Amino acid sequence: MLAQLDTIQTEALAAIAGISDEASLEEVRIAFLGKKGSLTAAAAGMRDVPADQKKDVGQKLNEVREAITSALEATSADLIAKKDAAAFASIDPTLPSRPLPKGGLHPLTLVLDEAVKVLRRMGFALAEGPEIETEWHCFDALNTPADHPARNESDTFYFENGKLLRTHTSSVQIRTMEKEVPPVRIIAPGSAFRRDEIDATHLSAFHQLEGLYVDQRVTLADLKGTLEYFFREIFGSKTEFRFRPHFFPFTEPSFEVDIKLHAAGRPSKWIEIAGCGMVDPAVFSEVGRKRGDAAYDPDKVTGFAFGMGLDRLAMIMYGIPDLRLLIENDVRFLQQFR
Amino acid sequence: MNVSLQWLGDHVDFSEYSIQQLDELLTFAGIEVEGIESLPNHLVVAQILSSEKHPDAEKLSVCQVDDGSGKPRQIVCGAKNYQVGDKVPLALPGCVLAAGEGKSFEIKEGKLRGVDSLGMMCSAKELGLAADADGLLILSPDLKPGTPMAEVYPAVFELEITPNRPDCLSHLGVARELAALAKKPLKGRAHFGETNTSARAAKADEVRLESGACPYYTARIIRGVKVTESPDWLKQKLISIGLRPINNLVDITNYVLMETGQPLHVFDLAKLEGGIVVRQAAEGETFLALDGKEYTLEAEDLVIADAKKAVAIGGVMGGEDSGVTETTTDVLLEAAYFNPQAVRRTGRRLGLHSDSSYRFERGVDPLQVAGVSEFATKLILDLAGGKADAELVVAGCPGEGPQPVALDNDYCRRIIGAEIPDATIDGILASLGLEKTGGAWKIPSFRLDLVRPIDLVEEVARVHGLDGIPATTMATFASASKADEAYDFLRSLQDRLASLGFHEARNLKLISGAQLADDLATSHRGMSPVRLKNPLNDEQDYLRPGIVPGLLASASRNVRFGTSDLRLFEAGRVFVASPKGDEIEHEHLALLMTGARIHRSWADSKPKSLDLHDLRAVLEAICPEGVNFVPVSDGKLLCACSVEIGSGKKAVKIGMAGIVPPARARELDLDAPVMVAELNLKKLMSVVKTEIRFADLPKFPGSSRDVAMLVPGDLAAGEVAAFFEGYDESLLISAELFDVFTDPTGAKLAPDKKSLAYSLLYRAPEKTLEAGEVEAAHGKLLDSLKKTFHVEFR
Repeated sequence: MLAQLDTIQTEALAAIAGISDEASLEEVRIAFLGKKGSLTAAAAGMRDVPADQKKDVGQKLNEVREAITSALEATSADLIAKKDAAAFASIDPTLPSRPLPKGGLHPLTLVLDEAVKVLRRMGFALAEGPEIETEWHCFDALNTPADHPARNESDTFYFENGKLLRTHTSSVQIRTMEKEVPPVRIIAPGSAFRRDEIDATHLSAFHQLEGLYVDQRVTLADLKGTLEYFFREIFGSKTEFRFRPHFFPFTEPSFEVDIKLHAAGRPSKWIEIAGCGMVDPAVFSEVGRKRGDAAYDPDKVTGFAFGMGLDRLAMIMYGIPDLRLLIENDVRFLQQFR
Repeated sequence: MNVSLQWLGDHVDFSEYSIQQLDELLTFAGIEVEGIESLPNHLVVAQILSSEKHPDAEKLSVCQVDDGSGKPRQIVCGAKNYQVGDKVPLALPGCVLAAGEGKSFEIKEGKLRGVDSLGMMCSAKELGLAADADGLLILSPDLKPGTPMAEVYPAVFELEITPNRPDCLSHLGVARELAALAKKPLKGRAHFGETNTSARAAKADEVRLESGACPYYTARIIRGVKVTESPDWLKQKLISIGLRPINNLVDITNYVLMETGQPLHVFDLAKLEGGIVVRQAAEGETFLALDGKEYTLEAEDLVIADAKKAVAIGGVMGGEDSGVTETTTDVLLEAAYFNPQAVRRTGRRLGLHSDSSYRFERGVDPLQVAGVSEFATKLILDLAGGKADAELVVAGCPGEGPQPVALDNDYCRRIIGAEIPDATIDGILASLGLEKTGGAWKIPSFRLDLVRPIDLVEEVARVHGLDGIPATTMATFASASKADEAYDFLRSLQDRLASLGFHEARNLKLISGAQLADDLATSHRGMSPVRLKNPLNDEQDYLRPGIVPGLLASASRNVRFGTSDLRLFEAGRVFVASPKGDEIEHEHLALLMTGARIHRSWADSKPKSLDLHDLRAVLEAICPEGVNFVPVSDGKLLCACSVEIGSGKKAVKIGMAGIVPPARARELDLDAPVMVAELNLKKLMSVVKTEIRFADLPKFPGSSRDVAMLVPGDLAAGEVAAFFEGYDESLLISAELFDVFTDPTGAKLAPDKKSLAYSLLYRAPEKTLEAGEVEAAHGKLLDSLKKTFHVEFR
């Protein structure tokens, strides 16, 4: 009996070893383990085994069944794995990707968003105002003399009713102070317009980012600290910049901020990047006159304001040589900013 | 304004400063250096030793020159204006000269028509010292050969003086400022406020002031002058800052202007008929100015006149007929103060600007007028001879000068935010020429900008510089504003659209009248477009009432440059005017899609064109609530739809969508269908859910039934969708359209019919539905469909 079982095992393993498809494997399984299979038949002979051998034969029977079953399973798994592999064998993973439409944001949006992120971390909230402005909001309230050249029709777009297209986002300073009481800590991104023919460095409409902080004890040192932090966040902690005394009608003292630009293969140079200063008391007085209250009493509040050109910032950050690229919407240009 | 370094040296010794250090000193004074012109290296003074005809060229000469090396150098030259012995500029090999338009060339040893030429003798034009030149620049005979030309013509700074600092519009003014900042002494007087001239009030027939625009006028008569060429030192000074020498009298007025900032004018006394009258022009009065042009004046213009006619436009320009000529012998020297606004108004209206008007517009120092007149008189007597009247004839009064300004040093420290000691503050102000008298600062007469305490704070901050003050970061917390919410909302839309394959465009907000036809007129029923009063051109004379016109132009441009599969969006301000004329500004978002749905590739070599349903998919991707397209009649679009969120009475119209009429698209070179949408961002934001609440997940399975039905070909799917939306059956969870079938041949379906197939899902929240319950609900639904649309089920 034990010898017969050894023979069955040898025959079965030999049969399994020669198999290359699942159907033949099933036939082999039936031939040995099926109802009429040889091992099943041998198991039926257990009842004729003498009692003292029953234990050994039973154990042997289990060993043989185990060996055949595991050989069947291993071969089956092997066959399935081969079939699965064959199913994907024709795929060439080095083919180019199946395309998806690709889009992206305009470089001005990216620059603005970068600036807004930093300034929001610094506690500035956004503000806005109309682009079609009154002369009062754009010039008078900002301490600009009545015969200032910026008011010329040759420099500023006007409408028949006397309103104009704002020449700077500084008008939002006035709009905000009209509505809110100090402390005011705002930034206002937006369009501004100047009557310039369009060329590589001029657009008739451009983008600015205005900032204003008014409170009881705002100082020039705060302005310095704020802009230094801002520009280091934008251009890196090693950025060199300088505050150059300048003149604006609505701030005093006034400065322009230059950063040092390092371009490969060229001598580094200072590039003007922002204008800033302490809000001129005359601006507070005019706002107070309009409000009819003392919220902006120039003896009680001080403030700083700053403004920068986003188009210029984009040109510097991305090395864009010509402003017109920013309004032509050529996809070959836009896709460089994805 | 051009400022010569050498000229500055008349006032302050900057010899140990490099050009770069001076640049920095000026920059931190608040004076912008727009350019620095300096002559190149390897350019020296040379003396012409001999000149012979070129053997092979009629127009050339072969010169031997002394370049200071001790050995004669041979130069071939084409100029004719020199004599042997003259001193001229010589560019040696290696010298780099500007050739205009940013280009330059290097001088090399070479041959000209076979004769060695070891350098180039230069004209004033070649050195950038004059716009035009006739022959070589002949230098002063006193110069030593070999002297670098950079010493003869020192650097010239092109400065931008801010409008608050007219006192810096002269060499003395700039020198005064730099001396204060560099803590250096001035060599001579700080200004011309004091004079030894005796003056007398003008008689009515000498000078009469009839206009408030000229509060102060002085005249001095000088007789027996000789009009000739100016001496070299004077000519060279004017040339160095880009002015052309004319004759000694004119040159003196120009020189004094550039030296002191006070404009002067010299009249030929013989051409004046009677005394000077300063008056407003007669309306329509014509005037021939020195520039040779005739100007028609208005009553608001100020003129200097004699008894008969205008002889100058006050502060702007003299007249052609009363100016100095070679035959002039007796002159009247005018030095006056004109009201800045009046000069600015006239100059602007006439488009006439001069070095004089530039200074009067910004403000000259009235207290310097008499002193400068005296200074100029002395120069005229020195250089042109003659005899001056002993007394200056004066009309009006120069005023008292600036009022003293009190400065509380604590106020100064509070604004600046730094503990600057009193001594530093006082020291800075004193260095600028202010004098502390009593409790206030006496302001120098030339500092017209120092009126309020804050003006003095500015001086302290400017001179002290920001380097020496701390960088502090005081801040308050900020709550999100409405603008913050709008910004964040738009930013999330921008990101979603970029992920959906859209590129963000930004167009100019100024468009042409023709482009208005492309506008979808989404948010302006009864409104009109806003037109500029003074557009630059007729391509940009309207403010955009919508964004689609700009996007179409962008698409057209891209297609012409070879990109025809386009997904573009733009967000921004649009403008309309109400019937009353009030301008209204909205924030819009516009989308444009055209071309293939996906770029052609191995995966899909014949991709389908985008259609309106792709556009709707995009809108649904950015509006999680889903959007409805409600057909409307609109001449501007095919398949025009009102884009709505919600349905029935709660529907909110957020914009328009549709297909650009192919005829219009083809005009723009857009051959594939072009889908556009324009949405009002504020309306969109108002309907987008801001609050998200969790809902229980279904605990029991649902059961679905498909139904295919034949409907008239023109029945809009939206009507069926609206039916399901409004159908009152709590078990019906959803109805999805999964097939639309038509057969124009009529073989499988009548050509005027279409088949719509829906998958309907039934589910109850509290139990698994039994088949009978589903069938009952479904049967009821089919009946209702049949009644509503007269459908046949397939």
